[in-house]
Order: sequence, then C-alpha cells, then structure tokens
Amino acid sequence: MSRYIIRRFLSLIPTIFIIITLSFFLIRFAPGGPFSSEKNVPEQVLQNLMKKYHMDEPMGKQYLRYLGQVLRGDLGPSFRYRDSTVNELIGDSLPVSMELGTVALFLATLAGIGVGIISALKQNHWQDYTVMSIAVVGISIPLFVVGPVLQLLFAMKLHWLPLSGWITGRNGFAAIIMPALTLSFPYFAYIARLSRASLLEILRSDYVRTARAKGLAERTVIGKHVLKGGLLPVVSYLGPAFSGIITGSIVIESVFAIPGVGRIFVQSALNRDYTLIMGEVIVYSLILVVMNFAVDIIYGFLDPRISYN
Amino acid sequence: MSRKIGKAVNEFNQQMKPVSLWADAWKRLRKNKMALISLWVVGFYALVALTAPLLPFLDYRTQVIEHSNLPPSFRPAGQLVIQKLEAQKALIEDRINNDGMTSLQSDLDQTNADLQFAKDHVNDPVNHKVYIFGTDSLGRDMLAKTIYGARISMMVGLIGTLTAVLVGILIGAISGYIGGWLDNILMRFVDIMYGLPYMLIVIILMAMFRKEGQSSIFILFIGIALVSWLTVARVVRGQIISLKNSEFVEAARSMGASPGRIIFRHLLPNTLGVIIVFTSLSLPSFIMNESFLSFLGMGVSAPLSSWGSLVSEGANTMELYPWQLLAPAIEMTLFLFFMNFLGDGLRDALDPQSKNRT
Repeated sequence: MSRYIIRRFLSLIPTIFIIITLSFFLIRFAPGGPFSSEKNVPEQVLQNLMKKYHMDEPMGKQYLRYLGQVLRGDLGPSFRYRDSTVNELIGDSLPVSMELGTVALFLATLAGIGVGIISALKQNHWQDYTVMSIAVVGISIPLFVVGPVLQLLFAMKLHWLPLSGWITGRNGFAAIIMPALTLSFPYFAYIARLSRASLLEILRSDYVRTARAKGLAERTVIGKHVLKGGLLPVVSYLGPAFSGIITGSIVIESVFAIPGVGRIFVQSALNRDYTLIMGEVIVYSLILVVMNFAVDIIYGFLDPRISYN
Repeated sequence: MSRKIGKAVNEFNQQMKPVSLWADAWKRLRKNKMALISLWVVGFYALVALTAPLLPFLDYRTQVIEHSNLPPSFRPAGQLVIQKLEAQKALIEDRINNDGMTSLQSDLDQTNADLQFAKDHVNDPVNHKVYIFGTDSLGRDMLAKTIYGARISMMVGLIGTLTAVLVGILIGAISGYIGGWLDNILMRFVDIMYGLPYMLIVIILMAMFRKEGQSSIFILFIGIALVSWLTVARVVRGQIISLKNSEFVEAARSMGASPGRIIFRHLLPNTLGVIIVFTSLSLPSFIMNESFLSFLGMGVSAPLSSWGSLVSEGANTMELYPWQLLAPAIEMTLFLFFMNFLGDGLRDALDPQSKNRT
C-alpha cells in the first residue's frame, strides 16, 4: 500500500511539470504581450520594462529562470497589478474560491447521495421518476443559466438574498447561498444518478440477498451492507467533481461578482498578465492533481477488494 | 439436425427471422417513450436550424429601433408599441400630478409625440410584425436570434464531436491494434492530458490567440478538439484489444487481410455502438463548453451569436426585460435536456447490460 502511495505520488510530478511547460510556451507564443496595450509608451520605457521583467532574454533562459523561481515557491511579480506579487493576489483570492467550492461540493455530495438512496429504494415509483427527471435537468442546464435565473427570482423579485458580492465573516452566509447552490446543482444531479445506479446494482447482489435471508432488519441491510458498497463510485467521482467545480466557479464568480481566483483568471488571460496566468494555472493544477491523488488513496482504504501489489 | 446455411434458428431449432444488432437496438429504443420523444424534439431542432434561411422567420439582423425591448406576444408590434408608450405616459403623468415632478414635462411631450407617431403609423407593414419571443434592445426579433444562435451552437457541437470521434478512433485503433511500446506511449500521453485542467487552457487559448472582431470559431474548435478525443481513444482501444484475438479476426488474417482492412472492416464496426453513445452524450457537453466560453466573452464574437452569448447578453438586462434571458436559456436547456435523454436511451438500447447505469 505505502509503495503504491509513493509511486502514485511521484507520478504527480511529471504531470505538473508538463502543465507548467505547456502553458508557459502557449502563453509566450501568443501574439501581443503584457505591455502591448499601454498607450504612448516611449520606446526606451518599454525596453526598460521588458528588461525589468527579464522579457528581453531568450525564451529558454526565461523558462529556466521561471522554473527555478517556482521551485522556491515564488510566483513572481504581477505584470499588471504592479504593486502586488502573484503570491499575494492568489493568497487573497484562493480562500474565497476554496470556501465556495467546498460548500458546493459538500452540498452536492450530501443532497446527491440522499436523493440517490431514495430513488434507488423507490425504484420505478413516482419519487424515483421525479427525482431522476430533476437530475437530467441538472445535467442539462448550464450554470450560467441557473445563476442569473436564481438572481432574478430570489434577489430581484423576492428580495430574500443579496444579488451578488461576497461578505466575509458571520454575515457572509446569505451571500454564499445562491452561488454555492448554483455551483453544486450539476454535481448534485450527477452524484444522484451515480449513487442510484450503483445502489441498484448492489441491491440485487448476492450478499444483500444473503443478509436479507438471514433475517436482518431492512434498516441494517441498507445501512450496513448496501450503502457501504453502493457509495464507492461516488467517492471516485469526487476528484473529477472537484475539478469541474473549480472550472465552474470561474463562471459563478463572474455571475455573482465574487472576488475569487476564477475572476482574476479570466482577467489575467485577457490582460496577458503572464506571471499571474501561470501562477493560477499552477495553483489550479496542484489542487486538481492532489485531489485526484487523495481520492485514489481513500478509495483504496474504503474498498478492500482493491489490492495495489 | 438439418440446418439451412445462413438461416438463423432459435434454441428449439426453429427457423426465425434474423435480427441484426441495429434492428434489435431500434426495437428497444422504440419501446423507450422518453427517448422517442427526445428523438423527435432533437430532430425538430435540427430541421429548424438547418432550414432556417428558407423558413418565413424575420431576419435576425434587422433592427427596428421603435420596436426595442418589446415583450413576447402574438399581437402585432405596432399595438405593443402604443401600449408601451401609453403605460409610459400614464407613469409620467402620475409623477407630475402626484409627486409634483414638473421637470418631467418635456418627457411627457416627447412621449405624446411618440405616441401620436406610433398611432399614425400603426398600419405600416413594419408594425405588422409579430415577435412571439419579444425583441432585444435594438429591436431585433428574439426568435430569429435564438434560432441563428442554435445554428452556431449546434454546429460547434457537431464539429467538436466529429473531430473527437475521428481522432479518437484513429489513435485508439492504432494504439490497441499495434500494442507494445507505441500503445504505452500513446496511453501515457492520454493519461497526462486527462490530468490537465483543460478548460483553463482553452480559456488561455481563446483569450490570447483570438483577435478582436475576427471570427474565432476556428480557435474554439482547436481548443475543444484538443482534449475531446481522449475518451473515444480509450474506449476504442479497449474494445479493439478485447476483440483483436477473436476467431473472426484470426480468420480474416489467415485469408491475408491487411491490418488496415482488419481494423476498418472487422474491428471498428464492433465499436460503433459505443461510439454512437459517446457522440450523443458528448454533443450536449460540447454545446455547453462553447456557451461557457461565449458567456465569459471568449467564444464566438459578434455579429455571430451562439446560445451562450445570447444568454450572456440577456443576463445583463434581465431585471427589466427578462425574456431576453429566458428565451435563449429555455431553448438551450430544452435541447440539452432532450439530447441527454436521447443519449441515455441510445445507451440502454445499444448496450442493454448497462441499463440503470449513469
């Protein structure tokens, strides 16, 4: 087991390395630069700017310099927000996005599993049909449709919740409800479908029949035998779900005006703020890769049938 | 046991009509009511989008400034304009008489003049137009706009899926059939690509490589196609590996068939079911990804518009003119909904064992 963990962990390094390399050169080869949209900059000033940020060096040297920096945990100065470093910008916005993402994932998992259990136990009853239709809607309806429609309904017409924005501290609860609900909706739907399908499969399996045959109460059968095996696929979906929530939060943050990483990301890509884009890509892929790794490991612990040797 | 060659028999050795995989699948699909409805709806969307230029819709580019922001209605536009102006007049008069806001007098005069003008011209042909989905801020017909948005969105979905399927089949087939080190390299590559936060890379591509005012659909296709082939490649590879040592392939090989012929004539037809299911389920996800980018302002650029950019425009004015958001949003969601149902139905029909899986 521990050998597997170590091997799996080491395989993360090339993935991250490839992501960094790919995005570095992708960004550098794009037309235009971070200073190309400044107006009336004298040639000399432009050259000095390029020099200050080492943009006048050959591409390979810049790349090596950047890699060295990243290894030391320094993501460099932002090209656009001149008075902040990328570390500061990400440090300010990442907690916001993480909070939003975690709440959304939590909601999606909890509600999705609950609904999945109900519809699996009531298969082909009206509860099942209703819930599964909602789930297909959840998969079909884009986040950026749900967001504005919720805003229209709950903020503009009913005035129950704040329209947009982000409040830190205790009063932030009302502000997080709509964005978190919106963000969790498609994942809730997918988890509901996933857990329903796998629970149905387990319900028909031999060991559940045995458990019933030996006279266990239905409660015990469901709680002890069915749920344990039936929810494994949900665990393995959590990795991809988290990565989807991260991308999805780009849209949610722009719909609800939330100062998270996603909003900065879009801005920095449009501004060609090279270091900031790179920093965000690195942070995002780190989260992704680590999340997938964690899910793999947890899965191994939960499912005794899997052996890693 | 007398058994005629080429005739199918059942387990009691009675002759029966041979049923092909496709006929069987079609039979199962027809039993699934929801999938059948979905097939009709999707077909209807496709037909309307394809033949839109031939159908008597209003032109989506024509701006009638007097008709701006009209709500959805079956009544002719002229009457709606009069109604709107009368409501405005009543509001202004109320403000002047009850709140004493006399500075609004000039607005009242203007509204009266507009009203008179609208009444004089109510029988102009332009005022006989009917906007059943309402109009946008420049007086363009929302119905026509959403239909032309559908054309772009569906084209993106189709081209994306086709690229994914073609590239995926090619790489998957080569990787699975040849095997060995080539298979190893290709599959490690696929693994790494899976780990990429690809939407971020597409956003970077779109933000940096597209030029203002220029159609960026091409880059959008590259961006989407970049990663979409991965799943197909994996599935096709798996199928081919499991089939390549079977007897019928052995027989073909012993008759001297070339690898190309074996792959394309004998192996790929067996993966067709999986590919069709993938296609029908990934079409909505392509449309969703494109509209995601368009919503962020990085998808198709004006004068083209897709469902995503229409929703994005509509979201800006939703407080006053909600139909500008709801028309494209509902149209798009319905299409994706039925497309997903159709995909589910196709999967159940082509692969009955997988029923009840997600």
